Amino acid sequence: MRPGGAASDFGLRFRRNRNAVIGAAIVTLVLLTALIGPFFVPHDPNRVNMLAVWRPPDSTFWLGADALGRDVFSRIVVGARVSLTVAMSVLAITLAVGTTLGMIAAWYGGWVDALIMRTVDIIFAFPELILAILIAAILGPGLTTVIIALSLVWWPGIARLTRALVLSLKEEMFIDAAIASGTPVAKIMWRHFLPNIAAPLIVRASIGVGFIIMAEATLSFLGIGVQEPQPTWGAMIRDGLTQLRTDPHLALWASAALGITMIGFNLLGDGLRDILDPRLQER
Amino acid sequence: MLGYALRRIVGLIGVWFVAIVLTFVAVQFVPGDPIVAMLSDQSGDRALEARLRAEYGLDRPLWVQFVDYLRNIANGSFGLSFRYAQTPVSEVIAGGLLITPLLALVSISIAVMLGVLLGVFAAVRQNSWADTAVILVLVTGISIPNFAMAAFLVYVFAIQLGWLPVAGWGRLDQMLLPVAILVIPPTAYIARLTRTYMLEVLSRDYIRTARAKGLRQRLVIYRHALRNTLVPLLTTVGIIFGGLLSGTFVVETIFNIPGLGRMAIESIFARDYPVTMTIVLLFTVFYSLINLIVDLAYAALDPRIRLGQERGT
Repeated sequence: MRPGGAASDFGLRFRRNRNAVIGAAIVTLVLLTALIGPFFVPHDPNRVNMLAVWRPPDSTFWLGADALGRDVFSRIVVGARVSLTVAMSVLAITLAVGTTLGMIAAWYGGWVDALIMRTVDIIFAFPELILAILIAAILGPGLTTVIIALSLVWWPGIARLTRALVLSLKEEMFIDAAIASGTPVAKIMWRHFLPNIAAPLIVRASIGVGFIIMAEATLSFLGIGVQEPQPTWGAMIRDGLTQLRTDPHLALWASAALGITMIGFNLLGDGLRDILDPRLQER
Repeated sequence: MLGYALRRIVGLIGVWFVAIVLTFVAVQFVPGDPIVAMLSDQSGDRALEARLRAEYGLDRPLWVQFVDYLRNIANGSFGLSFRYAQTPVSEVIAGGLLITPLLALVSISIAVMLGVLLGVFAAVRQNSWADTAVILVLVTGISIPNFAMAAFLVYVFAIQLGWLPVAGWGRLDQMLLPVAILVIPPTAYIARLTRTYMLEVLSRDYIRTARAKGLRQRLVIYRHALRNTLVPLLTTVGIIFGGLLSGTFVVETIFNIPGLGRMAIESIFARDYPVTMTIVLLFTVFYSLINLIVDLAYAALDPRIRLGQERGT
């Protein structure tokens, strides 16, 4: 194969996949909004203005104002950053913990494997969001709590997937060769296992982002997630729902922001699954 | 089959025990002293404090408290509520005990039927405009979180059109919106899976054989293809049910439905941890029972499972 063959093949299949392209466009827009949007918002998202309480959308407040007269547009933009901060933190933590524990379980087997996998089974015995609600209730609300709670419920899936992938790789010739030539275990995992299990893990992660954003929004909606004055889409929808009859702009625009973001990540995840690993089962 | 069922039931009891231990341990980590919180303005009253502490058993060693906890679960009282002094948790939650399971079971039944129909509809029209339209609706249905969906549906159907009430519980028209919001995401999920599995089954040789011997399209789809689609679909019903149970927390909160989900959220804010933990336990038991039924049904249909091969995840 010529150099760069695999990469350009990926590019070609990506461009041909309509879901992946639309998803990537939406995700890029959301990422840009989260990264640079907060520097360009028209108002301070936390500035209280009693003269603008529940102001409908106009030329100063593009999407109106909320119960404290804060600009809804600015809060939606900054809310994107909060959402993605949670999603990326949880993803980083769970990928690190999940792949490490999954590889250790598959490599060493025996009681180490049993210990890790029984822990995974126990966490799977609870509906994931209810477990996250339980953890958030104990730790008390806040950004850190949300990240811890969602990490705790999300790593077992990664660990189980990693273990299954490594178990089948272990039988391969090149692993025997690596062992025979005295390669240290850590190096075998880093250099031989990881690159070979990356594709399904990327697919899993990209589908996971959608779930994590939804879970964060749900916790914040229920009031046990990220707290005021930090703007989050979930809390904005909750505040807006009580006012839906007279001032629908808050709930509807925040819902639209959350909905579009979720559609973007789901389309991208679906597309990546089709491109990278057509056989991977949905979960 | 019997051996498999027994193994699964023993495993289930293990899971319940772990859940009981976890909820007990969780309460120990909760910041603050519940008795001091209960006393509030009478916090100087040492005698009252001691009496309450004895009544709730919180003056005894931890392992005795755990035995009490087990005993209270066994006799069905689930201990005393922190928020409503001297009231057993079972009385506090009695009103919601039927609402939430009913809501969840009705929703999952509708979702399975509707989802399978939509999935088959899209699969037999693969790549047509109807297929594309269905897929678009499905992606939207899966993606938009239930409370965001609630904002749109309540705005359109309750406020703009005025067809349905905004909230409440008891009358049939008050149930339509909550059930619809619970039903949409799992329906979309099931429909998408059905479509995928159906397309796979339709490409098999035995379908070609069925067509070659001149069977009508409807017979091929419903007699031959659908049956083989339903088996793999069954394994995902458990997971979907978990999502639906979590959805009741949100939907009950939005629509003011006096079910367990809303009670759980209220109890978190009221720091009534015995109630919170009881509801979490009940949800876990309910969820694991549904999963057990699903797994047993699957094992009955697919002999490879009960012969000890693990199901892939």
